[in-house]
Amino acid sequence: MSGSLTSIYNNVSYALNLQSTAMTLLQEQASTGNRVNRASDSPSEAYRILGLNSQERSLADYQETVSELIGNLEISSTIISDMTSELASIQTLLTQIVGGVYDAEGQARIAEKINSSLEQLVSLANTQHAGQYLFGGGNTSTAPYEVIREDGQIVQVSYQGSDTSRSINVASGLSIETYQVGDEIFHSDDRETPVFLGETGAAAGTGTSTVEGDVWLTVDYDGANYRVSIDDGATYVTVPAGGDSNLAVTDSRTGKVLYVDTTGITATGTELVRVPGTYDIFTTLIGLRDLLLNERGLDTRQVLDYANECVAAVDEVYNVLLQAEVSTGSKTGFLETLSNNLEDMEYDTQDETTRLQEADIAQITIDLARLEVLYEMSLSVAGTLMNVSLLDYL
Amino acid sequence: MSDYSIGLTGLNAASTALEVIGNNIANASTDGYHRQRVELSPSAYGGDGTAVVGAGVDVSGVTRLVDKLLEAEIMSQESSYAQITQELSVMTTVETTFGEFSEDGGLNATIDEFFSALEALAGHPLESVYRSDVVSAAEVMCSEFQRLGNSVEDLRGQIVLEAQNMGDSINSLITQTAELNGKIQNIEVGGGQANNLRDQRDQLISDLAQFVNVDTQERDYGVVDVSIAGLPAVTGTVTLGIHVGLNNDGTLGISAEGNQGRSLSIEGGELGGLLLLNNELLDEVANDLDTLAKAIVDTVNQYQVQGLGTEGSFTELTGWGVGDGTLSSLGTDVTDGSFHVRVTNAETGEVERYEIEVDASGSPPDTVESIAAKIDAITGLSASVVSSQLHIVAEQEYAFDFLPAVSPEPTSTSFTAASPAAVSVSGVYNGDENDTFTFMVEGTGSVGNGTLRLSVTDGDGNLVSTLTIGEGYAAGDALDLGNGIKIEVSTGQFNDADSFEVDVFAFTDTSGFLMAAGMNTFFSGAGASEMQVCGEIADSPDRIATAYGSDLTDNTAALRLAGVQDEEVDSLGGMTANEYYQRLVADVGQEVSLLESRQQNIEAILQNLANQRDETSGIDVNDEAAELMVYERMFQAMAKYLSTLQETIDTLVNIV
Repeated sequence: MSGSLTSIYNNVSYALNLQSTAMTLLQEQASTGNRVNRASDSPSEAYRILGLNSQERSLADYQETVSELIGNLEISSTIISDMTSELASIQTLLTQIVGGVYDAEGQARIAEKINSSLEQLVSLANTQHAGQYLFGGGNTSTAPYEVIREDGQIVQVSYQGSDTSRSINVASGLSIETYQVGDEIFHSDDRETPVFLGETGAAAGTGTSTVEGDVWLTVDYDGANYRVSIDDGATYVTVPAGGDSNLAVTDSRTGKVLYVDTTGITATGTELVRVPGTYDIFTTLIGLRDLLLNERGLDTRQVLDYANECVAAVDEVYNVLLQAEVSTGSKTGFLETLSNNLEDMEYDTQDETTRLQEADIAQITIDLARLEVLYEMSLSVAGTLMNVSLLDYL
Repeated sequence: MSDYSIGLTGLNAASTALEVIGNNIANASTDGYHRQRVELSPSAYGGDGTAVVGAGVDVSGVTRLVDKLLEAEIMSQESSYAQITQELSVMTTVETTFGEFSEDGGLNATIDEFFSALEALAGHPLESVYRSDVVSAAEVMCSEFQRLGNSVEDLRGQIVLEAQNMGDSINSLITQTAELNGKIQNIEVGGGQANNLRDQRDQLISDLAQFVNVDTQERDYGVVDVSIAGLPAVTGTVTLGIHVGLNNDGTLGISAEGNQGRSLSIEGGELGGLLLLNNELLDEVANDLDTLAKAIVDTVNQYQVQGLGTEGSFTELTGWGVGDGTLSSLGTDVTDGSFHVRVTNAETGEVERYEIEVDASGSPPDTVESIAAKIDAITGLSASVVSSQLHIVAEQEYAFDFLPAVSPEPTSTSFTAASPAAVSVSGVYNGDENDTFTFMVEGTGSVGNGTLRLSVTDGDGNLVSTLTIGEGYAAGDALDLGNGIKIEVSTGQFNDADSFEVDVFAFTDTSGFLMAAGMNTFFSGAGASEMQVCGEIADSPDRIATAYGSDLTDNTAALRLAGVQDEEVDSLGGMTANEYYQRLVADVGQEVSLLESRQQNIEAILQNLANQRDETSGIDVNDEAAELMVYERMFQAMAKYLSTLQETIDTLVNIV
């Protein structure tokens, strides 16, 4: 090794530079707390960290979405629960009516109460949360239920919302249907054979009818043939001689069809036809209210008989609401579990990121001390080498 | 009087040696200086009778202590070191520019945030605040792309300027080297020694090697020829400079001055580093960024083009510039195919769908103008190319769009019954490819009665589903095909083998024309530095496509747009946008890490080589001081010798 000044200088400079660079790196790690501060610090780990950062952001977004959905579902559940309670009270009243507790005047009062409930249920079905209608399916910007009134009373409630719910991603590759379709959760969808409750002799035809809920069948006789109508006599279908086992009778107001077996018709009159499995909560209450107001001029016995039949209809929509409540609850439960899983995954992701990126402070301290010693030693050696000169002895 | 002569040669030798030592010490810190040593040799003859005692000492020369092989190796390593340092400096700047791992995040975070905003919009497609969020996030992402794209471009611009300046410096060094060659030759031809000039010349060559790797060839009289990548830059006193400029393909090229057509393959040195940076390393980074930007632009636009926001169908739409109007000049590939335009008559509510064929490979192929003419032929629409932009306008009572929503009525029917049932179709097809479903009636009778059924087959004749429309089906109820499409059959009759067809769409534009022409696109720009949110979207976020369904309440388009983040894109080598970018960042980091490692290795090698050189050529002051003492003593002794000799002669003279 040469003892030239340049050589000494270069060696010292090189050593100091190496140690200084290493110390700067350690200082950066200590100040940021991170071992990987740029991709070149560890390219493969940097790749993983960037991916994990994206994953963490994604998980946080999903959590936010799930949290919002849980909020929506909880509000929905509360609303459905309120509706169920309202229906339960109506069930109680209906039982009392059927038991003969109320006279005509009392029934009219109950009809008013049912009307109030109907108003409340429509209002609940049109509930908004955070500016979005909860029961309009994908159409969250328009009130899902529109009412038509006559003399201030609701005579028809029609669904205006979307027939599909909104699909929202709640995790990678997992979506959930949210914003329930009111027409599905407030409406029974298990059509059964129509039940004819009168004494005309008409019965259900073999075809699948399209009418829903309660239909009033009118049977009259035109002097030659029986005629049947389901639009309160607006239009009639003539029963052929000997009857027809599957006569299609259309409601001119709605276009809906009731298939009637007319072969057994022996009498004229108006009778109630129930189509189980097709009731919706609003039409049921409207029908019940109108029955109790006895707008058709039925006798007391008929009112009570039909009221008795309405129990089954109310029970049906009550069960529909219960199912909706259970379904909403289970969806909420699923989302809460998912939220917990997402939270766990987020923690795991953070842990992994930390493991990859975070600096080991203890190790930094030790390394820094070692480098400090080396640095000082380099300076000391350089000083000694520079200091010793033959010139001092000449 | 040879005795005097011996003394004088000794004095002269000692004096010369002292001068050399002085020169060595004076240049102890001079870059490129090589230690010199006086070469002494006994004087040829000094006879006195039969005893040969010599004639004193000759100064046979002053030589530079140079290990030429070592010097060549150092020069080569320094050249490599300069190249790597140059590359490292720029690539570190690129890495820093990416800004990942900083508090503010980088492009990775902005890509995440854009798609996160789209995901939020998918949850709230009808709320304007979420649309504004998407626009904001998109603009931030675009500005980040632009920043990175422009930074890389700026770096390349600086590199070109720096390379050109470096070319001037190299030419200057070449000239100076040749001049020194001349001076050295003049001195040494005359028998002199031009050690200091050689050092100066060698230092110039060393400086030259910092810029570019050089080969040297030493000739007589100290002349050194220098060649750069085979170019004889210095031949004695003759020079041939280099020219640095941009090639036609935008790459940086080096050629001989006056012969700019011939490109030199430069390696090593800072200039070699600049060439590699500009032509390969930064080019790759710029290309990767552009590829990523274009992939996001194209993939997002692909879903945006056919969707609608809450603003609804269009009454007027203007695309972006279409160049010379040929399909091949459009920024995005247009292939043979077609696109479908839905035209709605607002007064009657009628919706008609028109298919526009696009012939991209015909002879002659379609042009933007010819396609505009086809659109113009649609009832209710007029289309033309105005100011190189495709412009479609709907007549007053009409509106148009490119929605993939299924038409409410079957595309075609073949009913033979007297009072056939009406069929209505709804929904958004969730398949991957456009298709035509054929519904074939099985049985004869009224809907809702008997065993009437519909068998549904796809375009390839595969059975998709069998639907009961006989007993058990209430006319008007929706029948779900399980692929997003629903049909409703009214009351009425069907005869056996009656049929109807329904066209379903995954993409209403299979040619890519709409996207290429900039119709209802989200982003514009073919590369990172050009990427931006289209003005119509920025001005009216309600134009962001959220729905593919005709009632515009669904979130299908928003979900598809948000799903782009997880989409594996062919142009990105089957990676997602995030993965591709993360790989790019890691690749740059890998390059920097590799360069750092190589720089450290070469630095260590250079340090060792420098130490080796110092052992030969370095100035050790103590060594020189020791030599100083030797020659001082020699001078004193020779003076004493002459003095003694003089005294001897004086004694003799006194005797006489």
